[in-house]
Amino acid sequence: MGITRRYVLRTGWKIGGGMLALLAGWTSWELLRPLTASGATGKIKLGSPANFTAGTATFVNQGRLWVANADGHLFALSQKCPHLGCRVPFCESSGQFECPCHGSVFNIAGEWITGPSPRGMDQHPLTVENDELVVDTSKKINGADHGSNKFPTDSKGPACAGKG
Amino acid sequence: MIDQEAASGEQIRDGLEPDVYPVAEGRWQRLKHTDAWRSMFRHPQLDTPRGRALQGFSNVFLHVYPVKVPRRVLRLRYSWRLGFIATVLFWILVVTGVYLMFFYTPSVTAAYGDMQQLRTGIGFGQLIRNVHRWSAHLMVLVVVLHLVRVFFAGAYKKPREFNWVIGIGLLAVTLGFSFTGYLLPWDQLSYWAVTVGTNLVNYVPIFGGILTDLLIGGPQIGQPTLQRFYALHVAVLPLLLALFLMVHIWRVRKDGFAVRRGAAGAFAEGANELVGSESAADATDATDATDEPAIPAATALALANGDRVRLLGVVDRESVTAEERLTDDTVFAWPHLIVRHVVVALGTIATVLALGVAFAAPLRDIANPNLTPEPAKAPWYFVGLQELLSHFDPLIAGIFVPAGVLLTLAFLPYFDKNPHTESKYRKVAISVFATILVIAVVLTVIGALFRGPGWKFVPPWQHSYLEM
Repeated sequence: MGITRRYVLRTGWKIGGGMLALLAGWTSWELLRPLTASGATGKIKLGSPANFTAGTATFVNQGRLWVANADGHLFALSQKCPHLGCRVPFCESSGQFECPCHGSVFNIAGEWITGPSPRGMDQHPLTVENDELVVDTSKKINGADHGSNKFPTDSKGPACAGKG
Repeated sequence: MIDQEAASGEQIRDGLEPDVYPVAEGRWQRLKHTDAWRSMFRHPQLDTPRGRALQGFSNVFLHVYPVKVPRRVLRLRYSWRLGFIATVLFWILVVTGVYLMFFYTPSVTAAYGDMQQLRTGIGFGQLIRNVHRWSAHLMVLVVVLHLVRVFFAGAYKKPREFNWVIGIGLLAVTLGFSFTGYLLPWDQLSYWAVTVGTNLVNYVPIFGGILTDLLIGGPQIGQPTLQRFYALHVAVLPLLLALFLMVHIWRVRKDGFAVRRGAAGAFAEGANELVGSESAADATDATDATDEPAIPAATALALANGDRVRLLGVVDRESVTAEERLTDDTVFAWPHLIVRHVVVALGTIATVLALGVAFAAPLRDIANPNLTPEPAKAPWYFVGLQELLSHFDPLIAGIFVPAGVLLTLAFLPYFDKNPHTESKYRKVAISVFATILVIAVVLTVIGALFRGPGWKFVPPWQHSYLEM
């Protein structure tokens, strides 16, 4: 049974159709994929490290991140909750990050304490360049896994979330 | 003389030639006798069976319906008209949506202002928005109820399996509609509900990141997201829904409109007579298409004996996708069913208008990407999922559970081989479905009514955090 003309034509149509679908998919992806230049990316200068005193968290609007000082260790924590993307505010009274959406709580170093978040708060690398603190928002480090906390998880006072 | 008049009247009523028409009286009647009118409406409104059938066949809108339907279809509790109500709500959404498009700009700098302008500066703007909002909520509810009813009636079984799948597709498109529309006001409620919703997609294994990127078009919800959601909401999803709806309604007729299904399925032994003008054509086509023996044993015997059989008697029962009913138990769809549908449509319009007048669609503060409100709730139909997410890992609660339920539902007719439709023979299926339904309702009620700031338990009699 040799290759018939009908077989060649049918196979040709299938290959042609498949290639058209691939081209349509590629074109759509190129049209719709997000442009990398949008949003907050790149390095942001934060000033002297001494500006960030122990036990405080300072919000940096340009990078949508928190710079937190946990016992002298500085962290640049993404404001976005690893759970479902809500913005996590810092609660002065408890000294913890408390997500308003589903109740995840993180300590001042961004480590997970409780709630449905799958890990601690994501971080951006911090460096000191010419005595100035610099955060690179183009790079993201996933938050620490549950149970790997290095900093205290106790609340220093009443929580903010749940007060309405 | 009387007989002559009667005969003449009968001729006129059955005849279709303009010459036999009585002399037209009045402008309206004269207009209906012009060639131009007849070019648009082929057949006049003749009150005879043939006249009604011809009207139905030659009118694209009337032809959505079969010419005749079983009498029991007229009863409200037969289907509660849920599919039809959902269709009416879709058309209300199309009309009000087009009005809203005249005043809305899909831009993060303008959208919120447009919404405020709609509330205060445009006559009936608020009402149109309210009706649009309430129709959207009701459409989700009605489509879900339609699905539940079809399940309990066992109407997803052979030969309607594929139409059930299309129905699940319609449910998904309806949810997509509602979700994409949710972002458009660009207020705190919409921004954070959509933030939670789109972050769920991130948990899809392997493709989660790509899908999220495609959906929001940037590192976070912003102008590209609003533009994408707008395009999906006003162009892509309506086309998709129209396509699915077209196939869905067409299949309702072709798969057997309102078949009374016996304990052993629609095509049980001793089935009733088959009638209907389309039935013969469908059945003949189906016979051509099948490789299986087309003549059932009983019919073959009848043929061998030289007995007379009806045309459909020689068609394989399984391949007959025709209406099956007693010959004397049918009525014309026009006007019997269509008039009832008109009443239901008017009732639906009155309901959404009343809701629109009584309850205003919410508009919170302008979207603030830095400030998540407490509590940030998803739209009510996703709030059960949000409740589930507060207890389980997002991969399980956000992806596996909903995708599992949706896929199981979609392919249910293909693995539920039980031919029975009565509940007494379907105890397992009904128990499982009812359990899932109760869980979904309980989770939705808890999430919508009993959750407050920090997702803490707050009874609604203390403070209501219900978001619509």
